[in-house]
Amino acid sequence: MNLEPKQIAEFKSEHQISAARFSSDGSVLATAGYEPVVRRWQFDGKTLTPLPSLAGFHGYSTAIAFQPKQPQLFCADSWGQLRCCEGEKTLWQHDTAHDGWLRQIAVSPDGSRIATCGKDQFVRVWESATGKKLAEHQASEDVYALTIGESIVFGDMRGRIESWDFDLKQKLRSFDGSALYKLDRIQDLGGLCVLLLIDGGKTLLAAGTTPQNGATPQSIPTILHFDCASGKLAKTFTHGTNKEGYIHDLVLHPTGCLMAVSAGTPGSGMLFLTNPADPEPFHVNTQMANCHALALHPEGKHFVVTSTNRDSNGNGKSLAKDGQYKTNSSPLHLFEC
Amino acid sequence: MNPLCTPRDHTFSRRSFLGGGLSWLASPVLAEAMKQKDKQVLFVWLDGGMSQLETWDPKPNTEFGGPFRSIKTSVPGVHFCELMPKLAKQMHKLCVVRSLCTKDNAHSSGVDRIQRGDPKNRGVPYPHFGAGVAKLLGPGSSGLPPYVWIKPGSGGFRAEDAGFLGPKYGSLAFGDGKPPENLLRHPDISADQDAARNELRQMLDQRFAKQREKRVVEANASVFDMAEKLMARADIFDTTKLPERDRDRYGRHDFGQHMLVARQMLEAGVRFVKVTSYGWDTHGDNFNAHATMVPKFDQAFSAMLEDLEASGLLKNTLVICLSEFGRTPRINGHVGRDHWPEAWSIAMAGHGVNHGLVIGETNARGTEVKSQAHDIGALFHTWYHALGIDSHHVEFDNAGQPLPIAHDDMLPIKEALA
Repeated sequence: MNLEPKQIAEFKSEHQISAARFSSDGSVLATAGYEPVVRRWQFDGKTLTPLPSLAGFHGYSTAIAFQPKQPQLFCADSWGQLRCCEGEKTLWQHDTAHDGWLRQIAVSPDGSRIATCGKDQFVRVWESATGKKLAEHQASEDVYALTIGESIVFGDMRGRIESWDFDLKQKLRSFDGSALYKLDRIQDLGGLCVLLLIDGGKTLLAAGTTPQNGATPQSIPTILHFDCASGKLAKTFTHGTNKEGYIHDLVLHPTGCLMAVSAGTPGSGMLFLTNPADPEPFHVNTQMANCHALALHPEGKHFVVTSTNRDSNGNGKSLAKDGQYKTNSSPLHLFEC
Repeated sequence: MNPLCTPRDHTFSRRSFLGGGLSWLASPVLAEAMKQKDKQVLFVWLDGGMSQLETWDPKPNTEFGGPFRSIKTSVPGVHFCELMPKLAKQMHKLCVVRSLCTKDNAHSSGVDRIQRGDPKNRGVPYPHFGAGVAKLLGPGSSGLPPYVWIKPGSGGFRAEDAGFLGPKYGSLAFGDGKPPENLLRHPDISADQDAARNELRQMLDQRFAKQREKRVVEANASVFDMAEKLMARADIFDTTKLPERDRDRYGRHDFGQHMLVARQMLEAGVRFVKVTSYGWDTHGDNFNAHATMVPKFDQAFSAMLEDLEASGLLKNTLVICLSEFGRTPRINGHVGRDHWPEAWSIAMAGHGVNHGLVIGETNARGTEVKSQAHDIGALFHTWYHALGIDSHHVEFDNAGQPLPIAHDDMLPIKEALA
């Protein structure tokens, strides 16, 4: 039976959020976004209560990931910092884990290793307990996304996706995600946002958008389904109009359905739920504008979507009621399945 | 000499000169360039609005500063966004103005107002800067068309750029940096036949002229003149004979190759060369967009500065780089920045302007100009003065009506002038 999520609460945030994840026990929600801070929230099943934030990042906080069975939180920023925290305490930290924008963190299923990727074209593997660098690989472009299953899978700006065995330093498979790339004038439009393994690692999903034009991209949310054994593209799923833009987050619900959020032209975007085999989603919610993150609670009954205030865009100097220059924020929407 | 230069700066220049420039130093092109002392202008137009925060005026680690770091430049205390490492090494050649505050936040009107200098409304369309320079300085000793425009897409003659000066001073656009189609005389037509045809054309033109307005006739004749000059200099469009290394230095992308054609135009003595790059209107995915586009701009623009300096052309070429506005500090829901005329930046180099200098300052959030703000009219005064034209006394002639060449109430930015 398909899930029918209902929003049960909305919480204010004064900042824009681009990533959100629950801790393994579901008691803490961590968010990253357009500020050099990782924010944390206590979750009691009904409300989100702010906890002390993690400061000391630079540029934007970009990526967060929790240990699958322990409370440690791995977080990163756009200047290359990688940090492991437990509560507010830093267990280890690398200020320049990457040269600049560290884009994503993935944790191995057993929690022993984490992998990171960045604009510096590197994929790096770290021992999660100590932060010791175990291996690295230089790709040929800015690496946009990665995930870990039996191997590490990463994809670059041009949609070149590869799975690697970092112990053997060997490429295992290539996946052609070039549908998620377009060169428009002098802009390289990289549409890959998320890599996700499902079906016990038999299927790789590459989600994002099929770019159509640069500068002010208008493009359709897209998920490419690859057969991991052969590397072949098995299915291309698209949903929405070219206003809905990029699938910024994609997670697998314990029931087997996919949950995704998208953001495109300011004011548009959606949450949708779909079964991997289906051609259309069974649930679509377009009430929230420009959704960037979806955090699924480990027990599967709750999830949080972060969106953006509807009037987030505008040319020139838009002033708020207090006469100050307007800023944007990300409401947090709590859903119950 | 720039008092801020260091021995290291000179080492860099020498190295780039030896490494990058030698291959074309021995060419006839350079000989021509060295002889030609006319003042010239390179006008680089980044259409749509480049973000000042991801380029000339970074605000790292601030509320609206974005994800990128800033880097040191060759001038102590001046920082650029990390996306411009090559230009950072050439800051000592640049004059960056961080205090632009203009009026229009729409492309449709903003492009025109910025390129025409946004003078007081006189009820007539003002000329683009290129047309003004073409009128006031003429075609120069090369005799080549005075105002050319290298742009992606289609080419053609744009009379409207000349405003009230008349179509003769419009821009001649070369789509994708290529010469007009059928530029060269067809091989089946002999030189004598061609001359005879031209003689006939001129005779018909004289008859045509008796019934037409003078400026229309002039424009018509000037197009044929331009074609004739270009036929003799078709080589200026050809970059294939340049060393591969040169082509790589500018980048194999459109903008890089168009800048390389622009270099050849400047070397050949074209008075005013405009190069346009489209696609900077990043209302969505601003940071990834700038992460891929700015390094290409950085590559081509810095290669151009290196080469103009190595050939000596930078001394008599005013280089200007700008858009119609900058981009908003706040980030919209599409991860984009919108249009922002309130506090943005441009860069200049070369003839008549100081170098190694930053003029003006924005506040810590990048939301306002903190120092004296400058509208585009002040920049037009500055540019004309840099070219040796007294913008307060020299006037355009609009069919007998004298009109100022730049906004009456504005002044040149003195600090910018050498």
